[in-house]
Amino acid sequence: MAHISIPLPARRSIQFDFLGLNGALRLLSNRRVQLALMILVPILLLTLLRPFLPIPGPLETNLRAMTKPPSFVHLFGTDRMGRDLLSRTLAGVQISMFVGFAVALLSLTVGLVMGTLAGFFGGLIDRVMMTVTDIFLAFPSLLLAIGLVSVMGTGMLPVVLAISLSDVPRFIRLQRSLVLSLRSRAYIDAARTVKASQLWLMRKHIIPNTLAPLLVAASIAAANAILVEAGLSFLGLGIMPPAPSLGNLIRDGQTYLEQAWWISTLPGAVILLIAISLHFLSDGIRQALDPRSRK
Amino acid sequence: MLSYSLKRLTQLFVTVLGVVTLVFFTMRLIPGDPISAMAGDNLSGAALDQMRSQMGLNEPLLIQYLTYLGHLAVLDFGHTVTTKLPIVGLILGALPVTISIAVGTIFLTVLISIPLGTLAAYMAHKGNRMLDNTITGVAMVLDLMPPFWTSLVCLLIFSLTLGWFPASGAVSLEDSATLLRRIALPVLVLSMAQVATLARITRTSVLEVLNEDYVRTARSMGWSELRVLFRHALKNAALPVVTVIGLSFGNLLNGTVIVEFIFTLPGIGNLLVGGMNSRDYQMVQTLIVFYAMIFVGINFATDLIYRVFDPRVQF
Repeated sequence: MAHISIPLPARRSIQFDFLGLNGALRLLSNRRVQLALMILVPILLLTLLRPFLPIPGPLETNLRAMTKPPSFVHLFGTDRMGRDLLSRTLAGVQISMFVGFAVALLSLTVGLVMGTLAGFFGGLIDRVMMTVTDIFLAFPSLLLAIGLVSVMGTGMLPVVLAISLSDVPRFIRLQRSLVLSLRSRAYIDAARTVKASQLWLMRKHIIPNTLAPLLVAASIAAANAILVEAGLSFLGLGIMPPAPSLGNLIRDGQTYLEQAWWISTLPGAVILLIAISLHFLSDGIRQALDPRSRK
Repeated sequence: MLSYSLKRLTQLFVTVLGVVTLVFFTMRLIPGDPISAMAGDNLSGAALDQMRSQMGLNEPLLIQYLTYLGHLAVLDFGHTVTTKLPIVGLILGALPVTISIAVGTIFLTVLISIPLGTLAAYMAHKGNRMLDNTITGVAMVLDLMPPFWTSLVCLLIFSLTLGWFPASGAVSLEDSATLLRRIALPVLVLSMAQVATLARITRTSVLEVLNEDYVRTARSMGWSELRVLFRHALKNAALPVVTVIGLSFGNLLNGTVIVEFIFTLPGIGNLLVGGMNSRDYQMVQTLIVFYAMIFVGINFATDLIYRVFDPRVQF
């Protein structure tokens, strides 16, 4: 994607080719992206197909199979109420994936808009925005989320909002710095000389060229959101039981660690797998889009 | 230098003021007010009113805000809503535990990651990609392990199976041997998460320095590889490393909350979770501000250290 570091006259086909067929092919031929998809796609498929799999539902209790270790009948074992942990883990992955995706999308969108405004117009907007982001960045992320959840209450929506609020300032900063570096490029001046409007400049020349780095950051934000949501739920401040969020599953198993190691460890291993694959994905996108790392 | 510090200090002050303001007004957004949230259905209207006026909740919001700022300025954090204990006392009592965990973690992290990162950089420099890739890969996995999960796995292995460390029990600051045994696992868990970042930065900055002319000159003078590595490369790569220790302090604070909860250590993280569970908003509010101040203060110190020790940074 030469246009990221080398200013080219803006042509739609060049700007968007990382989203088109060419870009998709180049992404898919990247080793890290392949590795990430090899982990993510099966997990996602299993999650989506869970209702059709021959396993009990995530909330179905079975008093004849309480705290059973992993076996062929229950691949991840069962918890103290006889609920199938594979089923619960898959339902938890669904929640995690939703939280990860929602947070990434929300913070990317808000960060894109506010960061573009701050970077493009500068001046007072920029200064106010930077002071506000400074204030939000003064909180360690989990602690900001804890504070916000204490105000907004627990549940899916508050958790998504709380995690996004700690990510948004980072996206604003990133977008602002990208816009600042693009603003003074020659092709922007060229567009100005032919009387391109501000809106046109932003929409056609600036924003498309910042999407790639934003996507890289978004997949890391998604991984991070999944980890923070699990942490909040683990502390009892996130998504409330009986909803089988992965953090809840791990919390459930904490009390029975000695008798039933599988309750906490297996769902945690799944979180780790997802986080690793999302990082591979972001690494892969960066490599595939960075002209300097092309082999 | 002085004028720069003053400028940064002003900036710091604005940020802290912003933090306090944000927390104060956000906490006032809670549906109802702290009193009714705390009392539930147990108290009648008159009793509630009396408590409200005692806590100054009937004053206009601006007055409440100014009073709050005035109290903060003299480090008066008020009392817990439920037990009526002064919050300052609780924080000061819990702080040493959290500090021991944090300092222990930084110490162990530096001890592991600097040799590891230097080794990885050296191997990469010599063209041995395999060892370099292994170290970088392992560091990434360690980085992404959720700390609460790592804690439970470590508990399972080291406490419940091997019986090396106690999983719970009283913590007393006087009895340092017991304290060390109790915080050993939390420190190990948090270091695992921190090692990754620090090792990666050490690797990058040492690798960069290894390609410099003066390192080649040092080599050509016939000095041993070890001396070149430690006297010349590592010394000059130290600054980014210091910066990263400061910047990852936020992550470390996040981690202490989790490990204190799991290992039932009476630090400030445990106070926070306890405050959340008993809906003690005064406590939560104070602690969040407190955490933010530590974090901002550390970042400020890191920035100053960077500028004092790097002669190339201009003011």
